[in-house]
Amino acid sequence: MNRELFRNISFYTFILALQLLIFNQFNLFGFITPFVYLIIFIYYKISYDKTILILLGFLIGFIMDLSMQTYGCHTFSSITVCFLRARIEKSSFGVNAYLPLAMIKGTSMLSRVAFFFSIIIIHSSLYYSLIFFNVSLFGTIFLYAFINAIATFTIIWIIARLTTNK
Amino acid sequence: MQSIINSIVKNRNLIIYLILSFITFNFLYNNSSLHSNQLGKISTFLSATSSKLLSSLSSYFSLIEENEKLINENLRLKNIDAKYRLNQIVDNSLDSISSARVIVNSINKNKNIIVIDKGTLDGVNLESGVISPEGAVGIVKNVTKNYASIISLLNTDLKLNAVLQNSSTIGSISWDGIDPKILKLNDIPLSSSLKVGDTVITGGMSFYFPKGILIGKIVNYDSNSLEGYYEIDVECFSDFSSLSNLYILNKGDNKEIKSLLNE
Repeated sequence: MNRELFRNISFYTFILALQLLIFNQFNLFGFITPFVYLIIFIYYKISYDKTILILLGFLIGFIMDLSMQTYGCHTFSSITVCFLRARIEKSSFGVNAYLPLAMIKGTSMLSRVAFFFSIIIIHSSLYYSLIFFNVSLFGTIFLYAFINAIATFTIIWIIARLTTNK
Repeated sequence: MQSIINSIVKNRNLIIYLILSFITFNFLYNNSSLHSNQLGKISTFLSATSSKLLSSLSSYFSLIEENEKLINENLRLKNIDAKYRLNQIVDNSLDSISSARVIVNSINKNKNIIVIDKGTLDGVNLESGVISPEGAVGIVKNVTKNYASIISLLNTDLKLNAVLQNSSTIGSISWDGIDPKILKLNDIPLSSSLKVGDTVITGGMSFYFPKGILIGKIVNYDSNSLEGYYEIDVECFSDFSSLSNLYILNKGDNKEIKSLLNE
């Protein structure tokens, strides 16, 4: 248990450092910044406590907000994704949702893509909605959220493949 | 108590999510001017909409009170108007004006009577003139403590002194019992000039009305009478079928004038 906890904390720290030191510096086309830290919420095992996941989302989102000066946009998007994660998992994997590593193996590729992309697109949509906070800019919000979600998905998918192969 | 605790434990994720969301929005509101402005706009819109809704609801429920206020206001203005007219026509016989509601009204008989909810306790006197906001209505016939009956202009027994506003020709107005909208103006000699649309007002030569209260307008006349007088149809300004609030013109010196006439 202690070993697993240590491994998880190390993984979270590594991903967060990766996000803060490398991906936060990305500013492709002026607005694409992949939110790689979402892999933490994606990889969170279903057997763990869901309340801890929400608190973890709050903590990571808060750190992101402090680093990017976004005043709570990351925090709200993160806690919302963490709160909805169980539902997204059920709708993506169906009966296989209760497999301990459903998001990594033992399920179809399509389900996994749906699960990854659902979490990412919900997070991006909420994040850009809060960033612009203007209904009249709906088109821009949608465009930014979609493009950023694709970029985030690509990078997270690659990292997932690499870590799974290991 | 146990069930409450169980419920909280069961929904702890939702409660924690809501608390953290509140903290996040508070942080956002306090630190970002854009979000502070936008949230301020939303809160202004919400408070304005809810206030407007509450205000329209409360104004709807206070309509009766508002109506009373308007009647009183109208009465006050009528008093001022009456005083102004009195000053103009040098008629100091009008004491005051009081308002009353119509309880009973009819227009389909030969001798129509109106009953109002004011009587001697409210200062209503016999033979006082009664008007509506549009014009003359009738004369108080009987008074009890709390009620009074009025001989309506739509009563074949009533004959009022009237004049043509333009030419000051004196005549008398009465009803022939046929059309409740049309009165007859009598005793206007063929030598006087008149036209359709001329206004007929009270003449002031009676105990009931001061001069200048509107009665109606001429809609038709016949100058072929052999008696030397016009036969004139006058359309009433007052709509007798929808009377609701009336004003009673209290004249103080009726008895004094009557005593002089009796001598």
